[in-house]
Amino acid sequence: MSLFFNYTLNGISNGMIYSALALALVLIFRATKIINFAQGAAGMMTTFIASSLLAHGVSYWWAFVLVLAIGFAFGAMTERILIRPLQGKSELNPVIVTIGLLVVLEGVAGAIYGNASRGFPAAYSQSGLTFGHSRIAFSHFDVFILVAVLVLMIAILILFRATTLGLRMRASAFAGEISRLLGVRVGILLTLGWGLAGIAGSLTGLLVAPTSSFGPYYMDLVLVYAFTGAVIGGLESPVGALIGGLVTGLCISYVGGYLGSGLEPMGALVLLMVALMARPEGLFSRPAARRV
Amino acid sequence: MSYRKSTSGWRWTRALVAGAMGITLATTVLSATAGAASTPGVTSSSVNIGATVPLTGPAAPGYSEIAPAMGALFSWVNAHGGVNGRKINYTYLDDGYNPANTATQTRKLVLQDNIFADVGSLGTPTQAAVQGFLNSQKVPQLFIESGCNCWSNSKFPGSSGWQPPYTVEGKILGAYIKSSFAGKKVGYLFQADEFGQDFVKGLDQELPAASVVSRQNYDVATLAGPLSNQMAALKAAGAQVVAMATIPAATALAMLPAAVIGYSPQYVVSNVGADAPTVGPLLSAFAQKGGATAAQVAAVGGLLNGVITDAYFSPESNVSNPWVQVEKKLLAKYAPSLYAKSGLDGNTQYGIALAYTFVQALQAAGKNLTRAGLLAAIAKSGKSFVTPGFVPLSYSSSVHYGFQGAEVIKLSSTAPPAVTPSGSWIGGTAVSPVEVTNVGSGPVKKYTGKISAPPKSLSKSA
Repeated sequence: MSLFFNYTLNGISNGMIYSALALALVLIFRATKIINFAQGAAGMMTTFIASSLLAHGVSYWWAFVLVLAIGFAFGAMTERILIRPLQGKSELNPVIVTIGLLVVLEGVAGAIYGNASRGFPAAYSQSGLTFGHSRIAFSHFDVFILVAVLVLMIAILILFRATTLGLRMRASAFAGEISRLLGVRVGILLTLGWGLAGIAGSLTGLLVAPTSSFGPYYMDLVLVYAFTGAVIGGLESPVGALIGGLVTGLCISYVGGYLGSGLEPMGALVLLMVALMARPEGLFSRPAARRV
Repeated sequence: MSYRKSTSGWRWTRALVAGAMGITLATTVLSATAGAASTPGVTSSSVNIGATVPLTGPAAPGYSEIAPAMGALFSWVNAHGGVNGRKINYTYLDDGYNPANTATQTRKLVLQDNIFADVGSLGTPTQAAVQGFLNSQKVPQLFIESGCNCWSNSKFPGSSGWQPPYTVEGKILGAYIKSSFAGKKVGYLFQADEFGQDFVKGLDQELPAASVVSRQNYDVATLAGPLSNQMAALKAAGAQVVAMATIPAATALAMLPAAVIGYSPQYVVSNVGADAPTVGPLLSAFAQKGGATAAQVAAVGGLLNGVITDAYFSPESNVSNPWVQVEKKLLAKYAPSLYAKSGLDGNTQYGIALAYTFVQALQAAGKNLTRAGLLAAIAKSGKSFVTPGFVPLSYSSSVHYGFQGAEVIKLSSTAPPAVTPSGSWIGGTAVSPVEVTNVGSGPVKKYTGKISAPPKSLSKSA
């Protein structure tokens, strides 16, 4: 029983991280209908920047804020410089560009910082919380992960649901041409979507680094699981990303714990297949009206 | 008329060109045949050898230093006239620890660079992928940088390992657990491949089956986050001693989540996974948090403090050891940029010692150098080669393992710090005598022989 409890807590903590990166994928998919395979690598790059800032004596929280801003700028620039010129061409082109960007970013990080694994500090203590006499497998830092991802999620929901800027963003993603005719500046809003995704990606990088072997490749597997979560959630819905990420995290933790750690990626794959067979559109997206 | 003449002229030219090409081809074939009669890669003034090693990718940290350190020793040899008048040309290619690349790069070394022998290539899966090819080409596959039991196999007479087989390490550490932690419950955490399985084979030979309460493993291909579930399971099973066959990153990713749930067993870690310069920084970042004080960060040393592991040559932190002093001088002189970057550490020491083993094999093979002669010389006199190892090499015609002994050491954070530029801040003390055993069912017993001192030629001229 206590094992099940520990596996569940691990699953929640990892699941929240997958949710954050899944959210980044969803934001970009909503805006530009592509999957950004470089999202994890961008978070890796900004976390290396954070690591350099910390090494130069910048305080943790300043570095945290700065790096989220850098993530925003990086996401926006990627859209403007690399993705925008491909608009109107085959949908595959921008996807290939993001894969290329992934390879380039990992190469550049390796060239600058080396391929060695290193440590990265956590915002809060990583010793488990104590209840009465027992210590549980959920640390102060895990609480921070939970809160940080929820805050980001709520902020984005408020932006989309309760502000005119969010309404315009949704409109330009949903029907770009019509929005443009109605006077919405679609281009800048797409860039904004990529920027927001950049923030979510940077946050993920900062949250994963302390508990993994932080190096140029540490986000690769996280991206795979986040992608699973995003697809389960329907690729269009921020709430879907949250739930999808959590389900993925829990599923992987149980599979790893009870069946063996080698089966974790397989578990994610089976989960993806089952979810897509049951609901091909994902759990949280409206079924598309059939075109006649 | 002039037309005809020019045509016949053209025809003549063609005939001449064809003839010339035919002669060239014939000479090439002849010279190639003549070359095959002598030994590939060997001339009177040089010998070509090669290796595939990870210079990039996840296995590169640390391991990428070994081949350049070997190069430093070969430069020293070449600066002093080579072996039997032959200079050693050492080519090492990057395989990124990917067996598919190893196959391609090894073919290039054999077919294009015409190597005499493959020396000091790294990795179990990588070298297993080319073991058949190298043996079928009769290219010696010497001193593979891996402790897999698979290198000593009569089907592959050209292959041999160098470091202690993982089963030998497992037996020596298992015997230590049995005697020093008698009656305690033991749990395993091992990498799910030959490395982990061979190590566990050794542990199982020494430990009573009833004392092993949990066997956890991890897949190195999916090693990304903390091994929380494995550590939770070990804690739930009540393991008081955790024996680990882990790579450095996995050691850290196991100790961190254990600390989260307040689980602090006695760790017993294989030589590979207890490399303090690699594991230490990973662990120290763990305790570090936003605005942590230096004292808090220093407290993490505690996680590696008291860890039991084994060593088969004197670690670089033992600065009074004559081998360490010689190795340091050699590296500083013949590979200054490597020395500036990583200093003398376990990996560079390893490279120097392995290269010196090969140089002695060349000397033993004599002036008339052939591949069969080299293998015979190692089988005949490999036991008497001089190395920094605590025990002699154990090569014979049937045994293709190198060292089959080690001493058990306890890491401590109180030993003298910072002796390398990369900062080795954890030292250790020996808690057992040097012990020898074998991969089979032989007992673990005390080694009573001598430990070699570095040869005069090396200590004087390096």
